[in-house]
Amino acid sequence: PPGKPKVTSCRSYDKETITCWWEPGSDGGLPTNYTVLYWKENAKTEQECPDYHSSGPYTCYFDKAHTSVWHYYFVYVKARNALGTNVSEVFQFEIGEVVQTHPPRNLSLLYEVESSKVPYLLVSWLPPEKADTKMGWITLQYQVRLKEEKKHVWEEHIVDQQTKLKLFSLNPGEDYVVQVRCKADSKHWSEWSEESYIKIPGSPRQRDMT
Amino acid sequence: PICSNGGASCQVSTSALFDRAVKLSHYIHSLSSEMFNEFDEHFTPSRRFLAISGINCHTASLNTPEDKEQARQIQHEDLLNLVLKVLRSWNDPLIHMVSEVQDIREAPDTILWKAVEIEEQTKRLLEGMERIVGRIQPGDLENEIYSPWPGPASVPGDENSRLFAFYNLLHCLRRDSNKIDNYLKLLKCRLIHAGNC
Repeated sequence: PPGKPKVTSCRSYDKETITCWWEPGSDGGLPTNYTVLYWKENAKTEQECPDYHSSGPYTCYFDKAHTSVWHYYFVYVKARNALGTNVSEVFQFEIGEVVQTHPPRNLSLLYEVESSKVPYLLVSWLPPEKADTKMGWITLQYQVRLKEEKKHVWEEHIVDQQTKLKLFSLNPGEDYVVQVRCKADSKHWSEWSEESYIKIPGSPRQRDMT
Repeated sequence: PICSNGGASCQVSTSALFDRAVKLSHYIHSLSSEMFNEFDEHFTPSRRFLAISGINCHTASLNTPEDKEQARQIQHEDLLNLVLKVLRSWNDPLIHMVSEVQDIREAPDTILWKAVEIEEQTKRLLEGMERIVGRIQPGDLENEIYSPWPGPASVPGDENSRLFAFYNLLHCLRRDSNKIDNYLKLLKCRLIHAGNC
């Protein structure tokens, strides 16, 4: 019979739809048919994946009409060929546990120097695409990291729901790289945003040689 | 002015009441998630599968919106009253949870503090919501039967069933606190910002 397939992961980018990824097992060279099946908490019957294509090969996509936020999903794959069938382990999740948004967008850096005040770097960004933070359907926490380009250690800052951060005491004359990521209720951070670069005005401080 | 006697001029605006409610609901849900995750780590995958397959929340009978579109289409009066019902439904189970957590060997120490904090903050949130509903729908404070908690679904003396019952309670609390948090944020956007938020 065919090898054991596997549901590798499920992810919701927006807490409104879900995508699951799966892998076929070995097929021994025989034509093998794969079916993704699921049931929801308290459901009497199981159903077939509503959309095998929108999220690409070896996926199952649950659009808004097939997504309930506060129900457990139980997803598995069945493989069948001339020699028999095999089924994957059941992958279970509630959408809140698999929310992992796209990274924040439009990261921008602005070095503010006002005569009477301490200069600072203003880091600002936009929430990730598809995430409805305005209506409050998703509440995001952000993490900003920055470092001098020539160094290896990142300095990290947690920002709750805001989409900007002021950073003080940066070294004049140095080049910095900045990134931001975010997470909703679940434990999964998004990927890091694209890097943004800035050179802090002024001449580098002389090293203390004593 | 210092609002010693809570006179009309010192009254907190409905917008400020909503801000407080949303901060509280967010905080309560964060604590509930952390508490559930801590307890969940004590369950092997097979036990977790069993536990999840048997999930049964005492608030399941409340007809709550299951996604964003449903929540947006429901009348705000109905959504406000639903939030009140869910909150009231948790009064007894939270009292039980605080006493129960002290007797469960597998419960990590950090869970007790969270259980006490959640119980206290949920009471405050309920009081705040009753003030909001009293403002928006005077005279409509339905105190009808909400979704009474049938008590712990565990077999006396059976440690395993007691563990699953406690797991079920924590799971339902995480779920319902997320519902309340989401509904309040949607309501705040609709009622305070007229949808332009």
